[in-house]
Amino acid sequence: MTSPAETLEMSQATDAVGEGAPRNYWRQVLHDTVAPRAARFGIGWIAIVAVAGVFAPLLANTMPILAKIDGRISSPMARALTVPDITLLVLVGWSLVRLVRRCAFGRWMLEMLILTAVMIPLAILFAHPPDVVDWPHYRNLDRQGEVQWKVMAPIPYSPYDFQRDIPDAALQPPTRQHLLGTDAIGGDVCSRMIHACRVDLSIGLIATGIAVVIGVAIGGLMGYFAGWVDLLGMRLIEIFESIPTLFLLVTFVAFFPPNLYMIMAIIGLTTWTSEARFIRAEFLRLRKQDFVQAAISQGLPLTSVLFRHMLPNGIYPILITSSFGIASAILSESTLSFLGIGLSRDPSWGALLEQALGAGGTFVWWIALFPGLAIFLTVFGYNLVGEAMRDALDPKLRT
Amino acid sequence: MLTYIIRRLLLMFPTLLGMTIITFSVMAMSPGGLMAIVNTRTGAADPRSRAAMRAFYERKYGLDKPLPVQYLMWLNGVSPVGIKNAGAGWPLNWRVGFKPPDLGESIIAHQSVLEMVEESLPITLLLNIITIPVIMALSVWSGVQAARKRGGLADVGGGMFLLGLWSVPQIWAGVMLVGYLGNKEWLHWFPTAGLHDVQADQFNFLPTLGFAGGVHFERGWLLDTAWHLVLPIICFSYAGFAFTSKLTRGAMLENIAADYIRTARAKGLPEGVVLYRHVLRNGLLPLITSCASLLPSLIGGSIIVENIFALPGMGRLGVQAALQKDPQMVMSLTLVASILTLISFLITDIAYAMADPRVSFEANPT
Repeated sequence: MTSPAETLEMSQATDAVGEGAPRNYWRQVLHDTVAPRAARFGIGWIAIVAVAGVFAPLLANTMPILAKIDGRISSPMARALTVPDITLLVLVGWSLVRLVRRCAFGRWMLEMLILTAVMIPLAILFAHPPDVVDWPHYRNLDRQGEVQWKVMAPIPYSPYDFQRDIPDAALQPPTRQHLLGTDAIGGDVCSRMIHACRVDLSIGLIATGIAVVIGVAIGGLMGYFAGWVDLLGMRLIEIFESIPTLFLLVTFVAFFPPNLYMIMAIIGLTTWTSEARFIRAEFLRLRKQDFVQAAISQGLPLTSVLFRHMLPNGIYPILITSSFGIASAILSESTLSFLGIGLSRDPSWGALLEQALGAGGTFVWWIALFPGLAIFLTVFGYNLVGEAMRDALDPKLRT
Repeated sequence: MLTYIIRRLLLMFPTLLGMTIITFSVMAMSPGGLMAIVNTRTGAADPRSRAAMRAFYERKYGLDKPLPVQYLMWLNGVSPVGIKNAGAGWPLNWRVGFKPPDLGESIIAHQSVLEMVEESLPITLLLNIITIPVIMALSVWSGVQAARKRGGLADVGGGMFLLGLWSVPQIWAGVMLVGYLGNKEWLHWFPTAGLHDVQADQFNFLPTLGFAGGVHFERGWLLDTAWHLVLPIICFSYAGFAFTSKLTRGAMLENIAADYIRTARAKGLPEGVVLYRHVLRNGLLPLITSCASLLPSLIGGSIIVENIFALPGMGRLGVQAALQKDPQMVMSLTLVASILTLISFLITDIAYAMADPRVSFEANPT
């Protein structure tokens, strides 16, 4: 596979994983992660879901993107954009600019943070999405012939547009009008699925983000101090691992009004243990190494030793566990929605799937198949990426 | 080993305490608190009887007392060792000692929680007891197959297939199984809900096949139950199977390259003996370890499976209790689920130590 010289270089690089690890080791790991076809498939699907989530208002919307009504050109879609819509679009738009005009990763992150901080108040000031939308309004205008021309989204139905103006809109099988059919109350399944992408992806990312922060903090301290801190931390981990998470989630969500952020927080608060275990093992290994000792002897503050010197060496195992963690967080959310105790109003794949087994023993195949497939592919995608990362880091598989 | 088990048992107490405290505070902090839950239950009554019911619940659960006292009252009721006559006189007349644990009464069903748990727990346990051997047997088989046909298409594609199987959401699998195999508009091979047929009481325990005098077939009670269990068991076991068999395959492949396997082959042992006696013994260890993560996920999975297939087990009871906001039920079910999880961890540890003589749970010098 690789030439002897390269192998030698790589083995040296592997030996020297530490502060001054040669860059090409990480390049190699990154390359090995992305190289397998399966991992590419996973990354590709996640990218599709992410794009669908970000551009959801442009992809599936009852309101025309641009329309000439009574001689005036307007964009009803833009007027109905919400604060997260605008912020996301601006952030992603700027990232696209940065794809063309490259800059350092750190600077890009900084710009993202600044943009978020600026955009959210601005959007709150200027975005006034109507509280109650008259969904059939534009269809009615069109029927009355008051619309001269219009540019519609590829799927001309919003997720909350239950087509009250159209008789027998509910439970329509897939047709050319409704690509994936309609659900039990007349919503377009495809549109609801597109808008659900955002919810499901963000739950996975934020819940796992919380888990990583807690896991790194606790696991890092355990590994660094060892001794009784480690002992205490392990007991804490054991306690948290024996909590039946789904049971706790069900209780939480049933007793409080359903709230996306709380679901994220609970999933994060109960699943940090595997991250903590990984970081602990890594830090136990690193704490006696020369570069760490050197950092300590220079009198650097604890946070610097922990996060600037030790953490970069333990970050890759964290990426592996978080990839699997995102998958399981998405599963948890869809399970809650499926049981009917998750998000009731917001579109979610799990909530759609719940309608597949309707009352009276009916089975609606298009509602069962497509949202389920979406959950499966997303979970599978993250698992594939996690698996590829694990393989890339496993020295036994390196030949 | 014994000290380890004792330490493990002692560790169960803070875990159970933590879990129940979390659940209790969730319910206490929810909008309106515990009293609001009681109020909604008594909403329909006229003011006088409502006040009476309020007073009754306040006295029974100490709802007028501060939250920690309420929790301790519940704890005292549940624990088998505690104050026997907590209501009578403070604290001079208290008698501390053993007493039957009292899990309280469901506010909704007006039935003892213990009775309801006793009815539903066997169903969840039944699902688990059938599923675990199925998973184990299939994983061992798949591991042996992988070791036998190393590098073949089945081996290379198998890993990806198992990862895919593991990623299939249980809710989706359940819905598809019920829909395509159970629904009367599709294949209708299996029943879609419940554990028994409506007329199951009249069935014989074993199937009767009267071929002699006229064709007479009556499904037996056992056969009927098994028929009802097919889909839930499939839905319950495939993820665990994928997970453990991936691990077993890895372990088998690692072991088959070991020196002692070459020695065994060189001795002229038949391939079957090599695979099952020498490779499998060592390949079993990760299978046992994986049990530790398997059992809690099965308890979690019982929530999903029991809800899809309408089996009256613990998971279904738990979701219903949470949805109906029944504090006593939720607390008790949390306790039972936690105890089950902890016991399964303990069993796994013991099995692990028994299977691998190298394992010692004594204090580690590092």
